[in-house]
Amino acid sequence: MRSFSLRSRLVLVSTLVLVIALGLVGFALNAANYRGAVSSLQARMESYVYLVLAAMEVDADGRLQVEEEFSDPRLVQPGSGFYIYIEGKDKDGEPGRWRSPSSLGLQWPVLAAQNPGQMTFTEPHDGDPGFALHYGVGWQLPDGQIVPFTVSVMVNKEEILQQTSAFRLGLWRSLGVATVILVLSQVLIFFFGFRPLRKVASDVARVESGQAERLQGDYPRELEPLARNVNRLLETEKSNQDRIRNALDSLAHSLKTPLAVIQAGLPLHGGDAESSMQNAVDEMSRLIATRLERAGTSTRRTLAQPVPVREQLQRILDSLQKVYSHKMIQTNVTMDEKLVFYGEKRDLLELMGNLLDNAFKYGKSRVHVSGESLDPDALRPGLQLRIEDDGPGIDESQWELLLQRGSRGDEQVEGHGLGLAIVMELVKAYGGNLSIAHSELGGAEILIRLPST
Amino acid sequence: MRVLLIEDDLRLQETLSTHLRDAGYAVDVSTDGIEGLYLGEEFPIDLAIIDLGLPELPGLEVIRKLRNRGRDFPILVLTARSEWQDKVAGLEAGADDYVTKPFHMEELMARINALMRRAGGHAKPIVNLGPFTIDLTGQRVFRDGQEIELTTYEYKVLNYLVMHPDEVVTKTALSEHIYEEDADRDSNVIEVFIGRLRRKLDPGGELNMIETLRGRGYRLALVLAA
Repeated sequence: MRSFSLRSRLVLVSTLVLVIALGLVGFALNAANYRGAVSSLQARMESYVYLVLAAMEVDADGRLQVEEEFSDPRLVQPGSGFYIYIEGKDKDGEPGRWRSPSSLGLQWPVLAAQNPGQMTFTEPHDGDPGFALHYGVGWQLPDGQIVPFTVSVMVNKEEILQQTSAFRLGLWRSLGVATVILVLSQVLIFFFGFRPLRKVASDVARVESGQAERLQGDYPRELEPLARNVNRLLETEKSNQDRIRNALDSLAHSLKTPLAVIQAGLPLHGGDAESSMQNAVDEMSRLIATRLERAGTSTRRTLAQPVPVREQLQRILDSLQKVYSHKMIQTNVTMDEKLVFYGEKRDLLELMGNLLDNAFKYGKSRVHVSGESLDPDALRPGLQLRIEDDGPGIDESQWELLLQRGSRGDEQVEGHGLGLAIVMELVKAYGGNLSIAHSELGGAEILIRLPST
Repeated sequence: MRVLLIEDDLRLQETLSTHLRDAGYAVDVSTDGIEGLYLGEEFPIDLAIIDLGLPELPGLEVIRKLRNRGRDFPILVLTARSEWQDKVAGLEAGADDYVTKPFHMEELMARINALMRRAGGHAKPIVNLGPFTIDLTGQRVFRDGQEIELTTYEYKVLNYLVMHPDEVVTKTALSEHIYEEDADRDSNVIEVFIGRLRRKLDPGGELNMIETLRGRGYRLALVLAA
């Protein structure tokens, strides 16, 4: 299973945390609001107690009377939700009761008798219709006897629920909006925050594809160590590669002089041993040339500057004209001056050198070279080279064998063989192909196509 | 003909100089670039074989310096570096041909012969000289199709004269190009060789092919037909 991206991880986790935190905040605010509403209700209920106490009269026998002239309509209007009950006993122990007009029609509730001075506030539990405040009063009669009364203020819970639910609705609504805004801004923050990471990733990809040699760019401070270490890694890798290449290179070259000694010494001995030893030496030379010397060649196209083909071609032609000066070869080049090769210069020289060497060697008097860009719109276009001569050409029966030889190291060095084998190895390393044909000039035509990247 | 061989591997140097001497060349050898350059500048060299990987002074530098100082004898590069960028660099520095190690001895000899011939203005290995035909590769001389047997030194003298047509060649030059530096030279011997050559090539004396210019030297008198 593919793991989530860093960004979605962060967005997911922070959204979760945000929702939980804002949820807790909401609950806390809601609870605080409820408590505030309850305590202000309690204060109001207390004030009703004192209002009623002020309006209450007890005669000498301890009988209760209440002057019912309340300015608060909620105490008068039946079913208003505010109810006051007074319950007590007179001197003789007869019960005395009073209820606010608002409680008309309601069943007399069970009142918890209170000792004088005692006040109890109860919040509604399951089934309770509302809040209740009970206050115990001891009324001293003129003869000094004290009769107890309990004043109870009862308020329907809807009174407070209306208030708190309105608050709760507003609270959750604004918390929800806040959550959405915060999550969105987080996504935005992560998007911009992670942009340098995406840039590093694409820069590493550029290095990998050979378009850059190292990470270059303005990275934020946090990413600088990463870029630095990646660059160091690249350098180490490159120097390791160079070291291996140099080691292989020098191994190849240091094998050749002893081989030359053996080979040069062979004719001095003569006899049957000479030809079989000659074969062995030839095979070793061929292996060194096609295998060892190419082993260090990187298959990746490095970010070498594009090499102008025409200029390097001229160097090869001048060199070959010198070596084959007696043949007076006429060369004809068809190529855009601006044609470039995306790869290593030494590889280009090697390709053209080997192919043209064969052409000069076998050609009678004419050699044609043409080159063009393959896929010129690509970032790094490919290259096609066609080399023709007017020599005897290569027999069709040999084509297959020559093309196969590139992948085999056990053939005798002769004719087109070795040079072509080296060219084949290189063409393969560049992912291209080579074909043999008959030239219009009468000789061989070799076509190589190196694809764009 | 005198060949300068600059090669730092002693075994290869020895084997090669044996082959070269067997083929009739006078050979001067050196194992490093500085001494090699000195020999190339000071001695009457006809061809140099230079290894590129030399101690003291790299082969490429030796070639450049020789060319800068006007030495125009043919130079054959001999090296383990078989890449074309190295070949091109060698040829651009002033070398005329290139042989990579390891090499077939016949191949090397053929290249040396070809370079010598080209330096002498002969594109082909067969030189026609009046009734004579000289096979520079096989080192054989024919008169009207009949082979004339020559000793090594007689051939060397004839070869040098053929390679320097229309020039007056001094006795000193001949002995310098035929003998190695440390050989015991005697210019009178040259007169003996010339005398023998004239008798073998032209017993009747009617062609007068090798002119003697008194006090100056010899000149090949027959017109060459390449």
